[in-house]
Amino acid sequence: MNIRVLAWKNLLRRKSRAVFTGLGIFLGIATFVAISSITSQMEGAVQDQLDRFGANIVVSPRTERLSLGFGDIALGGTEVAHSRLTMGDRERIASIHHKDRIRSIVPFLMTAVDASGKNVVWMGLPAADVAGARPWWKVRGGSELRRGEVLLGAEAAALLDKGPGGTVTAGNRLYRVAGVLQPTGEKEDGMVIADIADVQVLAKKSGAVTHFEVAALCKDCPVEDIVAQIGQALPGARVSAIRQVVESRKAAVDHLRRLGFGVSAIVLLIGGLMVLVTVMGGVQERTREIGVLRAVGFRKRSIFSLLFWETGWVSLISSLLGAGTGIAAAYLASPAFGIEHPAIVFSPAIFGAVVGFSLGLMGAVPPARRAAALSPTEAIRSL
Amino acid sequence: MEPIIRLKDVSMVYGVNGTRATALAGVSFDVRRGEYVVITGESGSGKSTLLTVLGGLQVPTGGAVRIGGADLSALPADGLADFRRETIGFVFQAYHLLPYLTARENVMVPMSPERISPREKASLAGELLAAVGLAGMEDRLPSQLSGGESQRVAIARALVHDPPVILADEPTGNLDSATGKQVLDLFSSLHARGKTVLMVTHNLSNLARATRSIRLRDGRIEDDRTRRPLTAKPLAV
Ligand SMILES: Nc1ncnc2c1ncn2[C@@H]1O[C@H](COP(=O)(O)OP(=O)(O)OP(=O)(O)O)[C@@H](O)[C@H]1O
Ligand SMILES: [Mg+2]
Repeated sequence: MNIRVLAWKNLLRRKSRAVFTGLGIFLGIATFVAISSITSQMEGAVQDQLDRFGANIVVSPRTERLSLGFGDIALGGTEVAHSRLTMGDRERIASIHHKDRIRSIVPFLMTAVDASGKNVVWMGLPAADVAGARPWWKVRGGSELRRGEVLLGAEAAALLDKGPGGTVTAGNRLYRVAGVLQPTGEKEDGMVIADIADVQVLAKKSGAVTHFEVAALCKDCPVEDIVAQIGQALPGARVSAIRQVVESRKAAVDHLRRLGFGVSAIVLLIGGLMVLVTVMGGVQERTREIGVLRAVGFRKRSIFSLLFWETGWVSLISSLLGAGTGIAAAYLASPAFGIEHPAIVFSPAIFGAVVGFSLGLMGAVPPARRAAALSPTEAIRSL
Repeated sequence: MEPIIRLKDVSMVYGVNGTRATALAGVSFDVRRGEYVVITGESGSGKSTLLTVLGGLQVPTGGAVRIGGADLSALPADGLADFRRETIGFVFQAYHLLPYLTARENVMVPMSPERISPREKASLAGELLAAVGLAGMEDRLPSQLSGGESQRVAIARALVHDPPVILADEPTGNLDSATGKQVLDLFSSLHARGKTVLMVTHNLSNLARATRSIRLRDGRIEDDRTRRPLTAKPLAV
């Protein structure tokens, strides 16, 4: 029998006290581990959802006169002639160093061409990318856009007086109306949307591109780096991150993380205090026992380590149980937080167990010191 | 030969909330190796206080205590703890066994800070329990032992480090006369093996076994007499 075993036996005698002491740490660690493994998975999920909200980087030509911003597209026959981007630039964007972070690169060509005798703006993009680049569009009567077909913005449909299944004439060709967009409040309400190849033919600009929308996966990626790399790949282009999108993504995830840390920190603190209070109370109860140990020749250090080990055992066991429970709870609760593929994340569990164990030991120091400092006189009086 | 215990003008004044209680008021005596001293006196006369001072559990407010050549007032806290472990075996009236440990484990308690193999500790504890007549009861909890058995476990515990001095504070106070006699027999045999024994007792029949008796009154020695001479040369311990 050594001090550790003595401490262990003492704990077993006071099971309910031990359970109570450990409960704070157990709950703290379980909460911490559950919350942080859920948030770390949610970061992914939130990011994923945010990434679906289209591009966060716009690549446009660098021109003196034309300011092509996102959603702020001024067009005119002569101005479009300034475009120096081509379909081939897509490959160059796709070959930057952080290429694995790029989720999609969608070329756009905007041009003004008469449709059925009315002057409208055409937006061209690869037909297959419509769903990915504009996931929020709701298309009435919608079938998928194909070459030779158009989608009409709500206002454009009213102007042209066309509906799904109708036809639009442009450049001596007939285009079937595949669907009509419900109003979005954006400029595309007044536009005719078609496959970029068709628009290039209409504009008589083979391979021309007005701008690219790039969607980068930004879970802890530096958007600035990606912007700079695209800028190097396309020296003639202006590359800008859409701040709002980037920042709001960061903010959403940060809030989540902060909430998690805040809650766990408070629970852990309460746990530490519970250890302190219960162990402190135990010292008082055990004055006589400490007196006996002093009488048989225990040094102060031995008394200290006895008390310290008692809490050590409790902290160790409750930290491990808490970490395990936290993992299990996070796993079971994942679906409720929109995590489709719950994974077991070990790092918060390991971190949590270590923190809980150390916190428990820290809570044990003051009472252990107090027990060690108990003068033999005081302890012996009760003998 | 230098006496094993030498008290010189020892006083102990407790200060409690401004009031002062004098438990010892200038006590001086020597104890030679191998003596069996019985300390008597009325309740409150300072007997227990004297034992705690002798055991290095309290530092007296005045005077000097030398035991086994060591000046207790010069020892630091750890030094006092080591002194208690090496030199003193305490036996209390109320046994003070740890209720959650078996008899064997209780005897092992004083060894628990030491780096000895658990098997060695257990076997030494077994030997000591056998020596006090408790072979076969090693795994009982204090609640499963009679008072006399409990006190014998406590004596075994006091003997773990083979101390030359045994301090006992009314060791038979809680026992009926038959079991009390068994415990006293044990002390006599320890004395016969060369231990120096100081025993506080109310029971005057214990006097017969002692070589010397000291009576305290109001913190002073009222009477100090040799009851029978130290016969055999004290054994080296
Ligand atoms: N820790 C203490 N603080 C204050 N006064 C104390 C303390 N310990 C003992 N006393 C007082 O000192 C005096 C001697 O006490 P002590 O316990 O030594 O007597 P005793 O002879 O052992 O008595 P008893 O036979 O009842 O055990 C008493 O008056 C007691 O009230
Ligand atoms: Mg007393």
